[in-house]
Amino acid sequence: MIGRLTQGDLGIKVRRREQILFLMDNGIYVVTVLLFIGFVFLAPYFFTTRNLVNILISASLAGIVTAGYTVAILAGQIDTSTQGVLAVATVTTALLFEEAGFSLPLTVVFALLAGIAAGLFNGLIVVNGKIVAFVATLATQGVMLAVALFLSGGQTITIAREGLQEAVFVRVFGIPSSVWIMFLCYILGWVMLTQTKLGAHIYATGADYRAALLSGVPVDRVIRVALVISALAAALTAVLVTARAKQSAMFGLAIAGSVDFVTALTAVLLGGFSLFGGVGRIERNLVAVLFLTILGNGLQLMDVATGVILIVRGFALVFAVILSVLRARMT
Amino acid sequence: MASDEVILETIDLDKSFGAVHAVRSVSWKVFQGRVNALVGDNGAGKSTLIKLISGALQPNGGGFRVRGQETRIGGPAGAFGLGIAAVYQDLALVENRDVVMNMFLGSELTRGPGAIFLDHKGMLQQAHQVLDDIHARIPNVREMVRNLSGGQRQAVAVGRALIRGGEIIIMDEPTAALGVEQTQEVLQLIDTLREQGKTIILISHNIQQVFEIADYISVMFHGELLGTRTRDDATEADVVAMIMGKRSP
Repeated sequence: MIGRLTQGDLGIKVRRREQILFLMDNGIYVVTVLLFIGFVFLAPYFFTTRNLVNILISASLAGIVTAGYTVAILAGQIDTSTQGVLAVATVTTALLFEEAGFSLPLTVVFALLAGIAAGLFNGLIVVNGKIVAFVATLATQGVMLAVALFLSGGQTITIAREGLQEAVFVRVFGIPSSVWIMFLCYILGWVMLTQTKLGAHIYATGADYRAALLSGVPVDRVIRVALVISALAAALTAVLVTARAKQSAMFGLAIAGSVDFVTALTAVLLGGFSLFGGVGRIERNLVAVLFLTILGNGLQLMDVATGVILIVRGFALVFAVILSVLRARMT
Repeated sequence: MASDEVILETIDLDKSFGAVHAVRSVSWKVFQGRVNALVGDNGAGKSTLIKLISGALQPNGGGFRVRGQETRIGGPAGAFGLGIAAVYQDLALVENRDVVMNMFLGSELTRGPGAIFLDHKGMLQQAHQVLDDIHARIPNVREMVRNLSGGQRQAVAVGRALIRGGEIIIMDEPTAALGVEQTQEVLQLIDTLREQGKTIILISHNIQQVFEIADYISVMFHGELLGTRTRDDATEADVVAMIMGKRSP
């Protein structure tokens, strides 16, 4: 009989390995709660409504980028063009709203279209050019940054017109709209990844490209869609960042210090995702983003020097990469 | 045996890779509800021939007749459409996905508007049923494939072929990487499939095993099909001689 040898139990070794993997995957929940409790006692003003809302706002920006990023990495694509997409979309937003006088909804639509275009561009290079995403998107990011620079004439575009910032400052049940948008992104992401055919194909393509291909999964289309979703999330973040700051972000960097490819990558890896694709759960990323945000916020409140905070964040990435590689070796 | 029906036939099938003539004008009959073994030395063209049948490669010349009808096999999807499903030597399973998702990979059951939502419950039920039918005992169909034994994996891959509507199941060296006990499990699986009326194309190196399980034994040598014997008509010595290139005795 098939499986007679192993029926009932899979062997102690396999079980133990699965237990360790479970801990590695879900450790982020425990660590985040511990960190939170720690700062409640150690960091002044940490546990105030105002600060907690600040944490959520700041997490929402990094969180939306990360949600999209998650989809790309699940499909096995390390998308490094986040900064470039942010730059193009922030300039698009500022130009259309301030200088072209577009309505708010139309501005948002075009900024998101710019994101979709950027994602399609990435897909073209990765799929048609058959170039590894990590390298391909590094190159396309250069193009996107240059396009943004050209469009903005090398200037930061300040937004004097009313209506944009007000829209993101709107609070529903005391929580700013950007935070609701982030939660919405994660809910949509969770449904898409766990409940739809596309989600199943994204996981399979990332986990084993060849097996997915032989099973009739339209792998190239899946990769294109994943890259578009990743860019779309970055573009959405760009709209929010631009609205909050009332100006375009030069190189997509100036204001959005914590919204970048490295943060997204750190969060994704801390969340138990594989650098090589196909493994991970999107809800853990939300927690990982909160972890990183709380870490930065708490240290700042404790008056730790910015340089030190950056070093700590740097080590978080190093640790996350080690975790990811260990995980990959075990499976 | 004489009354066996031909379910699939290749007609003067030809395939070259540059200067290498891998399959030379092969006309091969596959019999319905039987285990059709294809043997031959390394590089004899067995893998190329089955890749042509499973749609993974396109021939340079010749064609196919499936259930009496001349047809072409445009790709893996076209092969599935004709009820031909290949179980690749490496099984093409996704290690980090569970048994159910692997069995339905690429042919997921869906529900809801636009058929975009997965029918998890339906897939679970059908996976259980198919695995029961082939007497595969996998304790938990939510188990990751990475934790399964070699025999269990083979069952998952065969289950996938059946879910695809596979009537002609191609198994490429299914026992090559397995130990004695697991090999017996796979042979039993093949036997079960035959009892259920499935047609099996079995590629194997192991002559003893072929004699143990196959109804028909076909031998390839240097890209040519040297001949087909029924198991009862052939001796191991004959078949070995043919594998070495000796034409019909």
